Amino acid sequence: MYQHEGEDVFVVDAHIHNWDASEENIIHEGGEQFIQCFYDYHTGFTPEEHQWDLAEYRKYGSDRLVKDLFRDGSVDMAIFQPTHLEEFYEEGFNTVDKNAELVEEHPERFIVNGRFDPRDGEEGLEELERQKEEYDITGVKVYTAEWKGDSKGWRLDSEEAFEYLEKCAELGIENVHPHKGPTIRPLNRDAFDVADVDDAATSFPELNFVVEHVGLPRLDDFCWIAAQEPNVYGGLAVAAPLAHARPRKFGEIIGELLFWLGEDRVLFGSDYAIWEPDWLVEAVMEAELTPEQREEFGVEFDLDVKKKVMGENAATLYDIDIPQKESDLRTDDISEEFGLADQYDRGPAPADD
Amino acid sequence: MSVDTPTTGRPAVVERLKRVTDPELDRSIVDLEYVERIEVDLPRVFVRFALPTAWCSPAFAWMMASDVREEVEELPGVGRVEVELVDHMHGEEITEGVNAGDPFESVFEDATEGVAAVRATLDAKARLARQYDAVEALSEAGLAPEQIADLRREDVTLDADADRAAVAVRDGALTVFAPREPLARVVEKATETGLVTSGEDRLFASPEGEPLTPSSFDLVQRRARLAKTNMGGQGTVCDGLRRARYGADD
Repeated sequence: MYQHEGEDVFVVDAHIHNWDASEENIIHEGGEQFIQCFYDYHTGFTPEEHQWDLAEYRKYGSDRLVKDLFRDGSVDMAIFQPTHLEEFYEEGFNTVDKNAELVEEHPERFIVNGRFDPRDGEEGLEELERQKEEYDITGVKVYTAEWKGDSKGWRLDSEEAFEYLEKCAELGIENVHPHKGPTIRPLNRDAFDVADVDDAATSFPELNFVVEHVGLPRLDDFCWIAAQEPNVYGGLAVAAPLAHARPRKFGEIIGELLFWLGEDRVLFGSDYAIWEPDWLVEAVMEAELTPEQREEFGVEFDLDVKKKVMGENAATLYDIDIPQKESDLRTDDISEEFGLADQYDRGPAPADD
Repeated sequence: MSVDTPTTGRPAVVERLKRVTDPELDRSIVDLEYVERIEVDLPRVFVRFALPTAWCSPAFAWMMASDVREEVEELPGVGRVEVELVDHMHGEEITEGVNAGDPFESVFEDATEGVAAVRATLDAKARLARQYDAVEALSEAGLAPEQIADLRREDVTLDADADRAAVAVRDGALTVFAPREPLARVVEKATETGLVTSGEDRLFASPEGEPLTPSSFDLVQRRARLAKTNMGGQGTVCDGLRRARYGADD
């Protein structure tokens, strides 16, 4: 639980990974360049005293993940967004099954999302059913720029993708998280264009589309689409660290998001382990719009808005009852191990500090 | 042996390279510090450049590499320009393809969209971001939305003064001065993108290319601001990556 101005802020980190980019796992030079690129993102925006070395970064393991998020990072719950990249990594980069192991261990703390790739055809649909059955997923992460054989990407508005989205609707997998952000070889327009989200969102009003990285190289296209599609949301991963490194830029971006999408459709995500919530949650909570930005955008980024962005909006999408959850977390194994029970102990009377 | 002349030495090449922009950020590759090495040995010129990440779009990288060649070839005494893109996952293909004058589509057969189409999209955004600054400057100079929406290319005189542009309003009945830079920049991009082809053409338009009107003024200006925020945000990310990869120069 994060404390801000004497108030508790329930934090749902809506974008985390448990990846393996160890040298043994890499089978394609793309896999090495991919983790190097991630590492550039890490060192480029992480305060120096919090930077990891590359060896640790390649494969940090579940124990470190749990400590970084819950013990040191003020995170209450976290959502895994898988990224398979099986062309690059022998055992995949960050897979549903691997992520699900942590959900089994700490069911109160983690939510695992599934994934699909429409190029997998009938088998992929069955795999999606398996994910629903085994892990009761309510969301999927989709990586439209993933390589597969000769193909370097796919579109969310293709006939094949629609078949999968129909399956999601049928199975009650309501939250679709397309990665539309920093580049992974956006040679094909498909891979970086957010226009395919538009058609998908219009065609599937019963699903929610959380565009990860707020489409950042295409923030303008994303906001314009989101302004017209009420079921389109923005995930802050990658934009969030600017709150620390370039607060003014962050103010502009959050100002645009609040102007075009409003305060109910923006979700915090650390993108762990690209960045750690430890310093990132604080950076976003401390971020303020300048008076000029407040006037320019006509929005506020105050404590109420921050509470929504940091947890309440994700809680709505993932049916998390926050007061109930706080009471459950008081006694879970992680609170016990790290001595966190007190922060969830609200007691009957309001605190007087 | 080097036969550098006063017009075509290294400084002249740098000046020329300033015209090459990162198409996504609409900023010069010289200012962005992408240029790593320049060798002038006339008639041959060699330019090596690197991008903030190995994952930069090959289409963007291709545009910059081919723009480098085209710009530097314009200099007197220059015969052959060789360009090299380093530390990029497709560095070799891009370097070889651009130096051989091959079309992008033959090197990247799986590209669903040619370089020209990508460039047009990015140029349209650059035009819009520049429009934001120009419209802000004109508003600050006292022009009303309907006056700004009405402006034609011929109403703007860029060589009136070193720092100021003269803007004719009310059919020339009144001349207003505004900062030259934002207006010169939007005129340049509006011309490059074909929005403005004659003096009669309206200078400002919506993202879709519809002429600006008093009723669309506020919304278009907000969308133009968004295009600018996007470029600034992406520029910040690229800058962070570049520093992480190559270290800060300062």
